[in-house]
Amino acid sequence: MGAHISIPMYQRAVKQRYRLVGLKCLKCGKINFPPKAGCKYCGNFDQFEEAQLSGKGKVYSYTIIAGAGAPPEFSEEAAYRRFYPVVLVELDEGPRIVAQLVDVEKDQVEIGMPVELVIRRIYTEEDVIRYGYKFRPKKD
Amino acid sequence: MRRVAIVGAGQTPYGEFPTLGVKELFAWAFKDMLHSVDKGIDPREIQLAYIGSLSAGSGFQLGQLAALLMGHVGLPHVPAIRVENACASGGFALYSAICAVASGKCDIALAGGIEKMRDVSSTKTKYWLGISGDTEFERLAGLTFAGIYALVASRYMHEFGLTREQLAKVAVKNHRHGAMNPKAQFRREITLEMAVAGAPVAYPLNIWDCCPTTDGAAVVLLCSEERAREFTDHPVYIIGYGAGTDYLAVQDRDCITSFKAARMAAQEAYKQAGVKPEDIDFAEVHDCFTIAEVVAYYDLGFCEKGEAGRLLDEEATSLGGRIPVNVSGGLKSKGHPIGATGCGQAYEVFNQLRGQAKNPERQIKNAEIGLSHNVGGSGGTATVFIYRREG
Ligand SMILES: [Zn+2]
Repeated sequence: MGAHISIPMYQRAVKQRYRLVGLKCLKCGKINFPPKAGCKYCGNFDQFEEAQLSGKGKVYSYTIIAGAGAPPEFSEEAAYRRFYPVVLVELDEGPRIVAQLVDVEKDQVEIGMPVELVIRRIYTEEDVIRYGYKFRPKKD
Repeated sequence: MRRVAIVGAGQTPYGEFPTLGVKELFAWAFKDMLHSVDKGIDPREIQLAYIGSLSAGSGFQLGQLAALLMGHVGLPHVPAIRVENACASGGFALYSAICAVASGKCDIALAGGIEKMRDVSSTKTKYWLGISGDTEFERLAGLTFAGIYALVASRYMHEFGLTREQLAKVAVKNHRHGAMNPKAQFRREITLEMAVAGAPVAYPLNIWDCCPTTDGAAVVLLCSEERAREFTDHPVYIIGYGAGTDYLAVQDRDCITSFKAARMAAQEAYKQAGVKPEDIDFAEVHDCFTIAEVVAYYDLGFCEKGEAGRLLDEEATSLGGRIPVNVSGGLKSKGHPIGATGCGQAYEVFNQLRGQAKNPERQIKNAEIGLSHNVGGSGGTATVFIYRREG
């Protein structure tokens, strides 16, 4: 049983989830990601333009999820991989976002490490694959 | 606004009760409350009830729970409102009931909370416990609340040098306290070695950093100052009460090593009460994970930013220390029946201030001012109450 969110096909229209598009506030100049109806920095409600985020940033904090710490829809993955890292990343443009970190050994994860965004499989529910963003260590 | 007193409080033991349903659990706490009213009360005097619960809507699909429970204790016509703010549901039920009495809307109100968590599989529990964050983002990253609090812990350790041992000291302390509490779920002490080496859940947190799932209920009887002496010569006044809210997702907050919602609630409560953190004799704080208690020390003004580890090393927050925290055992050892927790904390403070902690070993001596702190999710909502014994 998973969290009841919109169906994957429909989600692909969601720019923030598949293309990391945020909203730049035209009043204070800061970028809101995920986009909000009211700017989290100045409260402006109606003057925004879309802003493409680079997907590059640094690890601000992290955890290594082990079996018992995984939500039910991730328990298969936790059982198979034994653990998976999740990072809170501060993007170069300012916003912080949380996602899994892949292509890394668990003892290599540290605060401050440069990472970049990739689109990966999140989990499968009712035989439908849900894709979304994750991070991997930055390749030069 | 009028002053508001607690004149009675009741709580079931916290634990696992496979033979009891929500109605029976609630009635148990309600009856315990009635017995605590020194001069007695006709329950029909209650004019309004707020009852906190999370699973009623999200786990068990029960609507109108508050009216259902009040009907079961013979009060079908008391206006009853269910309150849901995740783990702070009980705190917000209490906050709402205090406001109702303070405003003059009614003289006598009930605040309560209940959760029956041991009836469903751990998979279902993790499902519905995980829905109180910003699900769309945090959940899709593969996080439950343990993982979210682990992000807080990692950052705290990085910024302030908090050690794994210091985190474990919260668990050791609260289990030591809980072992003395006849109503606690886990009445056993644990060693620092055990607490450091538990099975991993979400690094840096292990199983001993996490509170259990629990069945339980708690209720608090509130009364206007004008009528308090009809029911007891030893009322406990709620001299300050505050609430705060924040973005649910930690990714949306500038600072994750302190919870703004809790700081707001504390500031409001201190200001109203006219007291300072150093005036607090003891506190019940929201330790759903060990790191949550660490964060609370600063949010409540018990230490400077980043200094929580030192408080633990000095045993300042242990029973007998400068400011004992969670003498009940806290959520960690007493248990955490989500919706009941905020009212269960008030039950503990009420009894400690009246010298009725049951077991003399765990009675705080000569306490005059107590505080309780209840947090929803990972800091999305919070309440803080300051209590003073009078008479
Ligand atoms: Zn703005």
